[in-house]
Amino acid sequence: MDVNQIQLDALKEIGNIGSGHAATALSILLQRRIGMSVPEVWAVSFEQVAGIIGQLDAPQAVVYVKVEGDAPGKAVFFFPIPSAEIMVQALFQTEESLDLFSDEMAQSALKEVGNIMVSSFLIALTQFSGIPLQPSVPALAVDMAGAILDAILIEEGTLDDHVLFIDTQITGIPQIEGQFIFLPDEGSLEKLLGALGV
Amino acid sequence: MSTVINVGMADYKTARTPDILMTAGLGSCIGICIHDPVVKVGGLAHIMLPTANGNPSGNLYKYADTAIKMMLNEILSLGASKMRLKAKMAGGSQMFSFPGKPPILKIGDRNAEAVEQELKRIGIPLMIADVGGSFGRTIHFDVSTGELKIRTIHHGEKVI
Repeated sequence: MDVNQIQLDALKEIGNIGSGHAATALSILLQRRIGMSVPEVWAVSFEQVAGIIGQLDAPQAVVYVKVEGDAPGKAVFFFPIPSAEIMVQALFQTEESLDLFSDEMAQSALKEVGNIMVSSFLIALTQFSGIPLQPSVPALAVDMAGAILDAILIEEGTLDDHVLFIDTQITGIPQIEGQFIFLPDEGSLEKLLGALGV
Repeated sequence: MSTVINVGMADYKTARTPDILMTAGLGSCIGICIHDPVVKVGGLAHIMLPTANGNPSGNLYKYADTAIKMMLNEILSLGASKMRLKAKMAGGSQMFSFPGKPPILKIGDRNAEAVEQELKRIGIPLMIADVGGSFGRTIHFDVSTGELKIRTIHHGEKVI
């Protein structure tokens, strides 16, 4: 569907409220200040999606949560490995270095971080739109960012030529960087915009 | 001096010796490499989905069947002989596993199968494949030698 400026602004506002809640949840969880950028709403061809996550073969820890309910979609957190490590250390209250590629405790902690952030995002979205939405069980992959993104984009075996998503940068003090993207499934966008009356 | 030519998602590029074709971060996608060892020309396609299902619209570079056809024509136009063409492929992994999900939905496997079938249909031998697993791959294809270098983060590096 074509999206006009008013609708883009509405989506940005959804992103703003939702991501704000998610950042607050992370802040409480880690006992650190977490900031976020004003979300961008992108409606781009899928070839361009790749450019938005930066270097395609850079290792990242990625938490992927499917959003279920009346307006399903995909919620994805990208964290550079050092940031993910800092978050897990903060949760475990340890300074010891961790191997995120193999440490199952650390991996399950990261999934939990994703779960809490997406739940907060969805609670805000549901309150705002009146559309009931629930997170699925989170999945984690620690590998090349581009490889993980392509798997998410084509998981169902279909892919539109254009992808719309809400993109928020997360920054924590000290030294946490991350990126949150929300991709509404086909048809969900109309429902979300309809619920907002735009 | 050889130039490294970057191939993006759902795109393909062709090249002549001594250039190298590369694509970064293949997950469930597949990098299809075809070359003529005599004329030393070749191509690399980064496909995302198995088939256009006879309903070609939008970006046709994203499907295995349509991308191979288009790339083949371009490789032939660089002077390659169809009789001499050889293929290799890499990618098609499954980055996430969701409990209880039926295996029929594994898109990486379906992509690999589609590439294999299309190559067979048009008569280009698939020499070797490095597919599957649950990790990403970055590949460099040397159109002069046909060597395909595969780099991963935690599963080593190899040349096939």
